[in-house]
Amino acid sequence: MPSKKRAGNKKKGSQSNFAKLSIFQTSKYKFKKSCPLSVKGAPVVDYKNIRLLKKYMSENGKILPSRITNVSQKKQRELSLSIKRARNLALI
Amino acid sequence: MNLYEHTIVARQDTSPAQIKQLTDKYSKIVEKNDGEIVQTEEWGLLNLSYIIKKNRKGNYIHFKIKGSGKIIDELEKNEVIDKNLLRYITVKVKKFDLDAKYFSKKDEYEKKEYKKDYNRD
Repeated sequence: MPSKKRAGNKKKGSQSNFAKLSIFQTSKYKFKKSCPLSVKGAPVVDYKNIRLLKKYMSENGKILPSRITNVSQKKQRELSLSIKRARNLALI
Repeated sequence: MNLYEHTIVARQDTSPAQIKQLTDKYSKIVEKNDGEIVQTEEWGLLNLSYIIKKNRKGNYIHFKIKGSGKIIDELEKNEVIDKNLLRYITVKVKKFDLDAKYFSKKDEYEKKEYKKDYNRD
């Protein structure tokens, strides 16, 4: 019984994740491959830039995984560090 | 010489005079230790995202400091025992971003962004 329930929860989780996908991808079929933060003219990842950081967080305040947001490894590290700094200051 | 960004959060019921006092106090500590304050920013009274010591809001003061690491030791030593402060953070940076102001006219920016987002959908 508990395993069944867990499977159900997972399905729900993946569905909501898919909903998140649409924020970062232009369309369902065309997936963006490049990192949105490594492009020329991309905003600087900084713990003061709350508007940017909030884009890469779930509604519950968790950091979104890079496989959903398509952020490169280097930028994801910067993001998570600056999100944690902002959390310490109670900005997020 | 290193570059540091230093932010402190004061309690919600500190008066403007007290905030100025705090700014002066920590500026003096920096100057005593042969440091230089490049810029001071007051972000004003902001909502905290969670309650800290029964405070819902906090006064944010942001310093950009140029100097050696000794300054930071001295600053944090004083800030730990300061009862007017809730939090402090020091970040070592390679370059100062003096133009970006994320906390002035915050509401206007947000409104614009939201409008853009709606249009996109």
